[in-house]
Amino acid sequence: MNKNDYRDMWVFIEHDGETIQPVSLELCCEIRKIADAAGEKLVAVVVGTLPESETEKLMETGVDVILRVSGTGYGYFNVDAYANLFTVLCRKYLPTAVFVGGTINGRDFAPRFACRLPTGCTSDATELVWDPKTTDIEFIEPAVGGKMMAVITVPVMRPQVGTIRPGTFKYVPTGKRPCSVIEETVDFPEAEIRTRVLDFKADDFDESLNIADADVIVCVGNAVKVDSLPKYRELAALLGGKLGCTRPVFDRGVLPFKLVIGQSGVVVKPKLYLSFGVSGAVNHVTGMQDSGCIVAVNKDPDAAIFKYCDYGIVGDMDEVCEQMLRHLRR
Amino acid sequence: MLNILVCVKQVPDVNLVKIDPVTGSLIRKGVPAILNPLDANALEAAVQTKEQYGGTVTCITMGPDQAAEALRECLAAGADKAILLSDRAFANADTLATSYVITSAAKLFGSFDLIFCGKESLDGATGQMGSQLAERFDASQLSSMSLLLAVDEAGKTVTAERELEKGVETAEAKLPCLFTVEKTNYRPRIPNLKSWKASRTAEITTLNSLSIPGLDPAQIGDPGSPTKVPRTYPPVVGESGHMIDEGSTEKNVDTLFELIADVL
Repeated sequence: MNKNDYRDMWVFIEHDGETIQPVSLELCCEIRKIADAAGEKLVAVVVGTLPESETEKLMETGVDVILRVSGTGYGYFNVDAYANLFTVLCRKYLPTAVFVGGTINGRDFAPRFACRLPTGCTSDATELVWDPKTTDIEFIEPAVGGKMMAVITVPVMRPQVGTIRPGTFKYVPTGKRPCSVIEETVDFPEAEIRTRVLDFKADDFDESLNIADADVIVCVGNAVKVDSLPKYRELAALLGGKLGCTRPVFDRGVLPFKLVIGQSGVVVKPKLYLSFGVSGAVNHVTGMQDSGCIVAVNKDPDAAIFKYCDYGIVGDMDEVCEQMLRHLRR
Repeated sequence: MLNILVCVKQVPDVNLVKIDPVTGSLIRKGVPAILNPLDANALEAAVQTKEQYGGTVTCITMGPDQAAEALRECLAAGADKAILLSDRAFANADTLATSYVITSAAKLFGSFDLIFCGKESLDGATGQMGSQLAERFDASQLSSMSLLLAVDEAGKTVTAERELEKGVETAEAKLPCLFTVEKTNYRPRIPNLKSWKASRTAEITTLNSLSIPGLDPAQIGDPGSPTKVPRTYPPVVGESGHMIDEGSTEKNVDTLFELIADVL
């Protein structure tokens, strides 16, 4: 494999025929920067058709090329057709990198086509840097439960495949550029699709589980006692906000995954983020560091969270929470 | 009779890993190695499936010799057979190389109808192993599987529920099928004393790189891993925030509310 034969950075545009997944647009904005650094084109791979307004939105991120794919097998998302498609496209066009939003679908097919090619696949990077010396992309991410940062590269193989969690990068479109369209047809025989959707039941919309857009978040860490949870719920409610948690709280089975804030959960940007008993591991901090004001309460004066907060209180989390409730009630 | 495989990993309990403040390296000493918590849910799903439809549950792992302990935990909780893949040549493998070794070895033990994996590991946490194992087993895949509804052995299909971002999907997949398992409905069982005791002395089949015929040395361990970790560094942290220390919780909270008044 000669790395010089490979050119251009791709972003898979996940959509439902009506709207593009926000993560795909976030990725276009971020990859625009590293494609410029590398002097390569930003290519958006769109399977099926998009409404004109969505294509417009996509072009506003500065894509140079839209690779529009049609064919059989893409009527509903299935790993078989999409893994085949990207294997075929990568072998034909030789991109240097392929970025896929870290949705359930994206995380299903990206590692699979990477394995088939084969090439290296990374997941959940929180920072991307293009290294002019090696021409490799550095995928930087928290490791070992957030206690270290690891730089991951794919130094020999191409393309470099990465899945990135929604909300990791910001949607800041830099404006249209001259954009060409390549039409491509790749048929996948429908008989070879091995999965079939029989039914889909949308979750009852539970507003309390939708924390991504909350203005105020009360986040509990691993130190939380199950019996104390109602206190934190009440505090969140009195402040007009919502309850969130760190990953270990979910691992203990105390709160649902949709409330997990961090690298492998939801990325939040509330005006006020109040943490109780949160140690401050980077993979959690990654998910909340853009909050307007960060308040930390922890009994350990050396807890890392105090390095990230605007205001800190060393003390017993339940005691501070109860005092805050008393303060708000009066 | 179903031939069921569960792929597991032994991981350091990362919540207990500390960083040496001087060298910045990980202090692994004294940190217990545990069965990856989400793999216990995968095992439970596999054992429940065996109990309902009949069959054999084989668990497999790649790791150092002490990873046998994770397999014994699986045997105590209902697995029938255990395979340990242990060789220095397997070290420093990424998901591509690991999935290659696991599938190459597993194929020596027959063809599997159902393969169960945890959603991700506590340490690497890439969440990629399920997809890459499915690719190498040439299996269909149902990720985020929360409830296995039915196995149709004659029709060679399986039906299961998946927990997706916005709801629950019911899907049908052809066998062989690989699942990554949600913990929702598969809380790990507590082994009884008898099965725990039996697991202590149960046989564990151990293979190295030479005992897997045809294994390509270029595809295992470090040489077989396209992703590299050229460096790690401690997270960059800022200066401490403004610490509120007024002598009592009551005064601290009053001060806090004054300070955050403009954001509320």
